Amino acid sequence: MRFNEKEMVSLSRQPSEMAAELGMRGPKKGDVVKKRLVKLVVNFLFYFRTDEEEPIGALLLEQCRVEREDTQVFSIVFLDEAERKYLFECNSEEQCGEWVDSIIKASYEFMRKNLIFYRTEIHRLTGKDPLEQYGISDETRFQVNNGLQLMPRDTSSL
Amino acid sequence: MKLNERSVAHYATCDSPPDKTGFLFKKGERNTAYHRRWFVLKGNMLFYFEERDAREPVGVIVLEGCTVELCESAEEFAFAVKFDCAKARVYKMAAESQAAMESWVKALSRASFDYMRLVVKELERQLEEIQGAGAGGLQGRPKSSRSNQVARSRSGASTSSLSSSSSSSSSSSSAPPTAGPSPAQKGLQDEVQLPSDSSKENGVAWSKPPAAWSNGSADGASCVAWEACTDPGNNHGARAPPVPPRRRGASLESPVSPGTGCFSKLHDWYGREVEELRTQWLQSQ
Repeated sequence: MRFNEKEMVSLSRQPSEMAAELGMRGPKKGDVVKKRLVKLVVNFLFYFRTDEEEPIGALLLEQCRVEREDTQVFSIVFLDEAERKYLFECNSEEQCGEWVDSIIKASYEFMRKNLIFYRTEIHRLTGKDPLEQYGISDETRFQVNNGLQLMPRDTSSL
Repeated sequence: MKLNERSVAHYATCDSPPDKTGFLFKKGERNTAYHRRWFVLKGNMLFYFEERDAREPVGVIVLEGCTVELCESAEEFAFAVKFDCAKARVYKMAAESQAAMESWVKALSRASFDYMRLVVKELERQLEEIQGAGAGGLQGRPKSSRSNQVARSRSGASTSSLSSSSSSSSSSSSAPPTAGPSPAQKGLQDEVQLPSDSSKENGVAWSKPPAAWSNGSADGASCVAWEACTDPGNNHGARAPPVPPRRRGASLESPVSPGTGCFSKLHDWYGREVEELRTQWLQSQ
């Protein structure tokens, strides 16, 4: 699959939310932990050899699951191949927690859900659609019923 | 540079809703003919397939940081996706109608993660403002004004069926989807069980809707949640998404700079850009 690599490399050089040296292990059997500069930019996780300008690779953080494996270790799996885990070793429990939180928030899908929540809330409280003034209220991606599965609330106690 | 291509291709074809789909002509890189491809826009990723029912995309254009412009072309309804980096490729495309072109230009120029983040931040800010205004306790306004606020909101189309009793404040907790519980929302936790395990799925990390979604008969519990969340300062600290990074080299306030602080201004620019493109096209006819 082709992708615009030059532009992605350029993206990897942008200021990032989170960047740190972590121990990274690939998903294949026999992959070992290697020290990598890991950098979170928008919904991509770039990883570099320390002091190198061009990233070795990037992970698109959509349709993935982040899990805490240990006090200082977290993993990322992609939903289409959940047996393959990328492991990241942090330097502290706190750092690990920060990375997990940041990666969860780093997906477009996550932001979309936030936006729909705020939009609906504001509309509920004010009767007005906050997106209307920006002329984007009709966009597919901002619709509540845009194929999203709202988690049903457990009403058995009511 | 490596990319988790299999998973990216899966994202293209999985059942997460696309933001836009349609046929476009795309100019080849070496072969300069225009090829008709099926395009699927999801978030900041523009996938293209050989055919509409192809199982795997031919390729993807990561749209982060791009600008979209009309371009001079023998081809009708042409536009270009450009990037601000050295030796960046220009993606020339053409739509099949004026309307399609405008629609794609609009969608692509707003497809970036940064743009989405700005919109979310803006709405978050608005919601906090509304809740700050409504929280009678915090600003010394009498309770009745809060009830009025709630009463007013009922006249708008509302999905939740609010009870008519004014003592029942089924106004929401201010809890948007978050990765984990925050101290200000402890009151909400009694009602909403956040997962105790630490596995969070990207895209489904919001595991429990806040009470406001489905709860029409909120009573004391909601009130507690409301009270617990009326500290905007604390909430903001716990919930605020990270500020979008400033692009190096881009001026602070410009249509393409995610550093542009004022959302309305940025949005005006987007709107104006589309207007200008439209005028240009009309004039060239």
